[in-house]
Amino acid sequence: MKKKKAYSTNFIIGAVITGIVLVMIIIGFIHTPYDITKMNSAVKLAPPSLKHLMGCDNFGRDIFSRVLKGMGNTFVIAFATVTIGAVCGVVIGAFTGFFGGWLDEVLMRINDVLFAFPSILLALVFVSIFGTGKYNVVAALGIAFIPSFARIVRGEFIKYREMDYVKSARLAGVSQIRIIFVHILPNTMTVLLSSIMIGFNNAVLAEAGMSYLGIGVQPPDASLGSMLSESQTYLFSAPWYAIFPGAMIILMVLGFSLLADGIKEK
Amino acid sequence: MKYIGKKLVTMLMTLLCISFLVYFAFDLIPGDAALAALGTDASPESLAALREQLGLNRPFLTRYLAWLMDFVRGDFGTSYKYHMPVADMIASKLPITVMMAFISFLMMIVVSLPLGIYTAKHSGKHIDRFIMALNQIMMSVPHFFMGIIITYVFGLVLKLFTPGGFVSYETDFVGFLAYLIFPCIAIALPKIAMSVKMLRSSCIEEAKKDYVRTAYSKGNNTNKVLYRHVLKNAMIPVITLWGMTLADMLVGSIVIEQVFNIPGIGRILLTSISYRDYPVVETIIILIATVVIVTNFCVDVIYQLIDPRISVQD
Repeated sequence: MKKKKAYSTNFIIGAVITGIVLVMIIIGFIHTPYDITKMNSAVKLAPPSLKHLMGCDNFGRDIFSRVLKGMGNTFVIAFATVTIGAVCGVVIGAFTGFFGGWLDEVLMRINDVLFAFPSILLALVFVSIFGTGKYNVVAALGIAFIPSFARIVRGEFIKYREMDYVKSARLAGVSQIRIIFVHILPNTMTVLLSSIMIGFNNAVLAEAGMSYLGIGVQPPDASLGSMLSESQTYLFSAPWYAIFPGAMIILMVLGFSLLADGIKEK
Repeated sequence: MKYIGKKLVTMLMTLLCISFLVYFAFDLIPGDAALAALGTDASPESLAALREQLGLNRPFLTRYLAWLMDFVRGDFGTSYKYHMPVADMIASKLPITVMMAFISFLMMIVVSLPLGIYTAKHSGKHIDRFIMALNQIMMSVPHFFMGIIITYVFGLVLKLFTPGGFVSYETDFVGFLAYLIFPCIAIALPKIAMSVKMLRSSCIEEAKKDYVRTAYSKGNNTNKVLYRHVLKNAMIPVITLWGMTLADMLVGSIVIEQVFNIPGIGRILLTSISYRDYPVVETIIILIATVVIVTNFCVDVIYQLIDPRISVQD
């Protein structure tokens, strides 16, 4: 008998890429080869070399160190965003899907309104009211991500709430909160997990876009998006300044989307 | 008809909600039009007088309704920074951004439709695997980075266009379109990848169903089954995706405008945010949201035209 393949190729490639990305992020948190804000005019726009793996930027700062830190920043922001979106979305989706009624109607209408609003646009509203910066971007993107999670979880709960095992749990006198979180929620995990991963990717792309526009992470702190925006001026003389931060964004997103595909296929 | 009517009401309600929320949010910010007009060192008396004159002392709801009435009539208020009507500021820029979104949208449909069908037909073969792998990578590239790559490859190395050499549609329409091609490719590529993937999997999923076997058993060949039967059903999820992408493209062009130095709506929006020129920000945001919501409405309508099974209950 042939043994069933445990994981698809996509999943393995995704896991390897994500692994590399995570290792780089952890290294960036612990130690970077150079101080990310230290300027050195002797190596301005230096090409990649053994001393500076990814070359140097227009201030002579080491791009490799800045990429490591920038990946960390992007990761933390995306993680926080998805956490806010997923936790609020799950709670709203679970209660509205399980109980239904007028609360469901009202919350779903608000959901539709938020859903119709492109997330970057909502973030722009937030930023123009509360000012630029990391935390405002997290709050804005987090709120923008709630509707998609709420919608998915609500659909799942509507599907499960009429099932026999839920009815028998109810007959056995299990409290409704317990039914929601202990009995039904674990069943929604597969769907939730892959939407969390897709959400994470969207968050990475949105954060990079916001930093590119100069409204996310503020300098001198490093971020992949703002590095790309700075690099444009020197695109012809120092293409590596653009290529490495951009490639890292692609790797982060690619790794996670392959993982998500792998989970869905299983 | 009943379906369309209900969706129309929902759309109008959503628009009303958004305009209210945005107006409310911008109302919370300290500082108002009077302060912006007279500056921070104006005397409290003159400020109070101007507020009285502009009607800023009225209750919130009255002000909102007055503002809404003006907005519907096309009077979007006056810019704090440039002291000119917001409508005039954005009127000449709006066509640029809309054109960009439109061209990218066309590119997406023209490229992804044949490519999606082709990969579905040849699924599992080498060519399909190659296209799908390329697709997966394309989906992971942020569109502004794609823009930077395109600028480098086609602008700086191959010199097919001059980065930053934007010409207004008022002076040279052909040159304007020619300059927009590359930015639009940057916007369209990730979306093409997404819709090819969706169309392919939707076709493959649909081809497994019973009616396809029936169609074959009646003696239809592959192409007939594909184009007459499968494609119609397979298009439904793809159309939803396209509706959503149109919104993404509009917002995406805000970012791409910065990459290619195009003076469209995105440029005004970003400078207005940094100058805290709220009437402009407010107007642009509501306009974009309106386009998005109207698009969603159109998608719902098209949806029902294709698939009459979709009813009011959904």
